[in-house]
Amino acid sequence: MNALSPTPSRAYDLNFARYVYENIDGGERLRMCMQCGACSGSCPIGQQMDHGPRKLFMMIRAGMKEAVLTSNTIWNCVSCYNCVVRCPRKVPITYILHDLANLAVREGFDAAKKADNARFAKAFMWSARKYGRTDERLVTGIYYFSFGLVEGMKRGMGNQKIALNMIKTKRMHLGMPHAIKAKDELQKILAKAQEIQDRHGKGA
Amino acid sequence: MSRTLTYYPGCSSQASAVHLDKSLRAILPPLGVQLRDIDDWNCCGASVGHIEAGHLANSALSARNLANAKAAGPEDVVTPCAACYLNTHYVNESIRGSEQLKGDLNEALGVVGKSYDGSLHVRHICELLVTDVGLDAIKAQVKKPLTGLKVAGYVGCQTVRPFANTERANKFDSYDDPTFLDDFTQACGAEALPFKMRTHCCGGSVSVMSPDKGLHLIKELLEEAQKLGADVISTPCPLCQTNVEMYQPEINKRFGTSFNIPVVFYSQLMAVAFGLDPVKDAGLDQNIIKSDKLLGM
Repeated sequence: MNALSPTPSRAYDLNFARYVYENIDGGERLRMCMQCGACSGSCPIGQQMDHGPRKLFMMIRAGMKEAVLTSNTIWNCVSCYNCVVRCPRKVPITYILHDLANLAVREGFDAAKKADNARFAKAFMWSARKYGRTDERLVTGIYYFSFGLVEGMKRGMGNQKIALNMIKTKRMHLGMPHAIKAKDELQKILAKAQEIQDRHGKGA
Repeated sequence: MSRTLTYYPGCSSQASAVHLDKSLRAILPPLGVQLRDIDDWNCCGASVGHIEAGHLANSALSARNLANAKAAGPEDVVTPCAACYLNTHYVNESIRGSEQLKGDLNEALGVVGKSYDGSLHVRHICELLVTDVGLDAIKAQVKKPLTGLKVAGYVGCQTVRPFANTERANKFDSYDDPTFLDDFTQACGAEALPFKMRTHCCGGSVSVMSPDKGLHLIKELLEEAQKLGADVISTPCPLCQTNVEMYQPEINKRFGTSFNIPVVFYSQLMAVAFGLDPVKDAGLDQNIIKSDKLLGM
């Protein structure tokens, strides 16, 4: 495990809250959270989360690092930004959830390898890095087959009709992926950004 | 008076939302706006890039676009895509607010001899239409009013959240009860239904990757639109349009419903109302569920 935050193996890590305040994108605003629950109450998908954002933020304060980074809350966020605009303390909740998800990926938690959103994000960035553009066919294809050959085939077949409709309406093309001209340039920029990110030991 | 702005079409303009791009390129010139694409633009990272790449690398995607945009000129950058707007606007504002981030991103851009100073203004095309173009100019272009067409205006999330009500978005509308889309509908001569689900989420990319988690959200939207007797649902968001349209057969299968409601872009409605070609300009042939009523107008 490539641990970035302190003492990764302890269930309660009292330094975790400090780590989040100082290293997570928007994390410093979390100090302002007054546990009102406007975020959890605004969440369209809250019922499908292990914990709403309000509870997750209290768990951060309690140092429950592993429970936070393995909860499905960080993977189920639909990025609707309801909570962000409603938070009376201006906590940028969506950004924090995304960066916590990234932390879970970087720390190599098993849940972060299995989560739908992590698999999808991996496929998505693969396309963005390789071609400079998102190829919806490749992203969904790679995502489906990340569950294994049989499951990939099943998911692919299950969405055959949707794909056909998209092809028929010329919203999915059949040729090579759309790509930018300066792929090499973009890859160099991204590699350097990654290097700086690692140098900081955090998400900038 | 015509003016040229820098245009960021986004990846969906070449795939699931070709008809958004097509109809915008048709309606904007008559409204006095010429588009000049960002040279060799790349993906913005959408809602998931951050999770895999991290904050800085994800921001670097937008930084390259901004550097290329600035190299072409100081004009405002406009984009029709909710996610492109969200990311590009956010990174631009973050660069303006943080010397550290500006330094880091310029260090990354520097490896290929590029740089960006944070001086551009990144805007959503809907905001441009509201603030700069104005409803009167839109109405002035209407040659075929869409009389009798009942439209449920579905705004979605990221077009208005979290920026619509900020200074840098010219406070063009509110987060929870935006009216701009209904204004567009009415400007086209159609009827704007009181669609109270206008800012409810369709599940975004979560509906794409995990339909089990998101389809009930889309079902609720469709139920409300059906109850109101909507002829079409109109939306500004590429992913909303695709999700709400393509999943209708699957939703019917899972929930025993019988939805078959066309979902179009506001710009397609405008193209038809402006008297432009319904196929070549409005791209109505690219909707999976066709609106006979709209096609017959």
